[in-house]
Amino acid sequence: MKGTYLGELEEIVLLIVGILYQDAYGVAVMDEIKHQTGRDLNISAVHTVLSRLEEKGLLKSRMSDPTGERGGRRKRIFLLTAAGKRALENANEMRNQLFNKIPKVALQFGAA
Amino acid sequence: MIKVSPPKWADRFLEWYCNPSLLEEIQGDAYELYGRALKNRGRRIADMQYAWNVLRFFKWSNIKRSSSQPQPSLMMYRNYFTVFKRGFLKEKGYSFLNVFGLAIGIACFLLISLYIRNEYSFDRMHSKADRIYRIHEILQSDGVGERSASQPFPVAEALVNDHGSQIEKAVRFFNFQAPTLAMATIDNRKEFNESRVFSTDSTVFDVFDFPLIEGDPKTALNKPETIVLTESMARKYFDGESAMGKYLKFQGNTNLLVTGVMRDIPLNTHFQFDCLISLRTFDEVYDPRVPQRWHWYWNPCWTYLLLRDASDAPKLQAALPAFVKKYFPEFVRSDVTMELFPMTDIHLKSNMDYEIQPNSSLTTLYVFGSIAIFVLSIACINFVNLSTARAANRAKEVGMRKTLGGQRMQLVGQFLFESILLCVLSVVIAIAIVLLLLPIFNVFAEMNVKTIVLLEPFYLGVLILLPLVVGMISGMYPAFVLSSFRPITALKASPNRERGSMFRRALVVVQFTLSIVLLVGTGVAMDQLNMLRKSDTGFTRENVIMIPVTRSPVAQNYKALRNEFLRNRNTVSVTALEEVLGAKHQVGNYLFEGQTDSRPFPRLTVRHDFTKTFDIPVVAGRDFSEDVITDDSLALVVNETFVKQMGWGSNEAAIGKRFDNLPTHQIIGVVKDFNFTSRHQPIRPLVLQLNTTLRAFDVRIKYMAVRITGEDVPGTIEWLSKQWKAQIPGWPFEYFFLDSDLEKLYKAESKMSKIAMVFSGLSILVACLGLFGLSTYTAEQRKKEMSIRKVLGGSNAHIFVLFSKHFFSMILIANAVALPLAYVVMKRWLESFAYQVNINFGLFALSALVAVGIALFTISYQAIRSANSNPAEVLKRE
Repeated sequence: MKGTYLGELEEIVLLIVGILYQDAYGVAVMDEIKHQTGRDLNISAVHTVLSRLEEKGLLKSRMSDPTGERGGRRKRIFLLTAAGKRALENANEMRNQLFNKIPKVALQFGAA
Repeated sequence: MIKVSPPKWADRFLEWYCNPSLLEEIQGDAYELYGRALKNRGRRIADMQYAWNVLRFFKWSNIKRSSSQPQPSLMMYRNYFTVFKRGFLKEKGYSFLNVFGLAIGIACFLLISLYIRNEYSFDRMHSKADRIYRIHEILQSDGVGERSASQPFPVAEALVNDHGSQIEKAVRFFNFQAPTLAMATIDNRKEFNESRVFSTDSTVFDVFDFPLIEGDPKTALNKPETIVLTESMARKYFDGESAMGKYLKFQGNTNLLVTGVMRDIPLNTHFQFDCLISLRTFDEVYDPRVPQRWHWYWNPCWTYLLLRDASDAPKLQAALPAFVKKYFPEFVRSDVTMELFPMTDIHLKSNMDYEIQPNSSLTTLYVFGSIAIFVLSIACINFVNLSTARAANRAKEVGMRKTLGGQRMQLVGQFLFESILLCVLSVVIAIAIVLLLLPIFNVFAEMNVKTIVLLEPFYLGVLILLPLVVGMISGMYPAFVLSSFRPITALKASPNRERGSMFRRALVVVQFTLSIVLLVGTGVAMDQLNMLRKSDTGFTRENVIMIPVTRSPVAQNYKALRNEFLRNRNTVSVTALEEVLGAKHQVGNYLFEGQTDSRPFPRLTVRHDFTKTFDIPVVAGRDFSEDVITDDSLALVVNETFVKQMGWGSNEAAIGKRFDNLPTHQIIGVVKDFNFTSRHQPIRPLVLQLNTTLRAFDVRIKYMAVRITGEDVPGTIEWLSKQWKAQIPGWPFEYFFLDSDLEKLYKAESKMSKIAMVFSGLSILVACLGLFGLSTYTAEQRKKEMSIRKVLGGSNAHIFVLFSKHFFSMILIANAVALPLAYVVMKRWLESFAYQVNINFGLFALSALVAVGIALFTISYQAIRSANSNPAEVLKRE
């Protein structure tokens, strides 16, 4: 399962790309992470994760049309691939399964 | 809206490093953030943030790599290797010169560095070496006296008693100051005069790590009349039987019990010995009838201290003046200085009177070190020169490779690969040479270095780094210059041959400068050595036979023996004296008229006929006479320098001057100055004293000296030996010739000049190999030009001159630089000698001539060839 293993940051970025659908590019992802989780990331770190996910085949990208902003430069828009979607589902499922296996008593703090 | 853009330099940096396929999005995002920051937080912050982001993007995954350049594959390296091999074999001569020249240079460097390493290893094998100090005694008044490496007998004990908190142990070595001592088995089947006998304290094994094979180091030398032998000495006397518990007869009168056998002493110690006798055996030397103050005056014991902590040395040193004041007899107290000297420094830095064995010097090491670096640089320069010259021929290959799609960096890689490979080859050959020569070199340089030391980190480092560095430098020119040629130029015509030639010429000049400096240096050093050895010392050295007699029965039979010796018609004169004349002397304290305190003066104790035997003229007064009985003890003879130093005006005025405050004690004669020590030192004042007592042979009279005519030398010696055996039965007759013994004084210089000669010869050879290679190359390049000149009427001589002209000018420049340089350097070196040879300018001219001559000879081979070549042959090949 080595190939599909998701790091914690990778999982967050993957989720954010899903949330932003069609608008997921470097700065937007960075902003959304800040907005959703409060974490301050450097833009270069976001780029690194995005390109790593693309290498793993969990994301695909295309260049947007140029606009007047950004000195006329295009954005690279990232989209979830089917594999990416499955990876998210797997991660989610595994987490729920594991959580459900925790004995109830272990979560009852008041009673102890 | 004013268009504000991020800082230019950061943007440019980003564009420079960034992978083009990633640049757009990265730059876009960075701009977007910049715009945002500009709006919210102002320009300065925005600029800084932008720069920071650019810096953060600077990581491996974003950096531009020319994806078009494939990583050189193994196959490519195999191709390089094939091309290299073909090139190497195609021009065997060049390749040989190139590799072999460098190999010689590296081998020289390695050998010399092994020598230097060995010199630095002296005395470091003892585990407590850093805490062992020798104590020196300087007994001087107005610069006259002695700087002694040894101490009076009681010093060691007194020091340990008074300064026990700093000194853990002390050990003394004593050898009667005798050149040889007689040793024999009990049955007299084996008897030898041993020169490396020391008696010592039982603490010797606590201070030094001399490993005992048999016997207990704690008790071996505790009792009187015990002896510890080295393996070789045990073998010599007992033929492989165990020596333990057996007896050896010392000086014919003392039986010594063998209580231990130790390993042989390594060569890299400042003194070696064959056996150690317990010092308690000779308590009688420390005669209680002699007043205490004399025990504190006579200083024959080399004394070593083991400090508790090496950092205590300065504290102990500071306490020594008080120590001198407390113990030394009053008449020398103000003249004595004691000095602690670290044992590990003795071999290279100590230069006292009465060293146990002659030491080496740092100067010699510096000289050798510079020679090593000179030779290595010459060899490297050679290599660089030949490689660059040859590489120019490969322009076509460069053009071809480029046309077929070779990248520039690939070519750079190829050339560097080749030259490094060539260097590696040289290193391998150099190692082979070293392995081959090391046994010979070990004998030559008197050392015992094993080849295994080449595996030490330093040598491994040198052997790995050297080919890399030299290979890089020599590969640099072809790698970067040739690879930059446009393929079309490279293929079309031969590239401009003047490229890089200035560089090569400069290197040749450097090379020859170094060689000429070495040549002149060797010449001056040999001149100096010859001057020291050959020049007149003021006494006769030839045909003088010296016979060691310390503590021998000769004491009783001296007169008879002398008379027997004189009966041979080839015997000129017989005398006896204290030390080897011209090598050593002792020091005595005397109080002369006009002085208030006694002062130390160099002294030689002699018997009658001393001046006659050594042919030393008496310039005033008279010599000791056998007719005047009082000459023994009431008379002294001095030398001219003595008279000058006392300021007595004339030699005649010195006659009758009193000494020791008694009217009967007088100076009776003045002898002409002679060099009673090596010519490293100027002549100093000297006192000659007659001593005809029997006791004199205990320590004062050490040699008989017999001068013979030089006719029928073997017969005369045979005769002397026969008389000796008749008069002194049971005592070996040993002798040496004074002149050959005095040669030893200049051993250091002699060894140095020999080694320097070999290596400067090699450096010239290597430089010439280089020159030969270069001239061959030039001949090749200018073949056509020369042929056309010939066709147009140039004479052979004309062509020859034209060809050798620029080589010649290089050698001239090298001479112009080297000669003054050599002069300055050698002048400095000579200043360390008391007697200096006049720098012979003929030598300079000779060196220059030799350099020019050899160079011209080397070049002319090619010059003549190109002058004599048939133009038709050369030109038809187009």
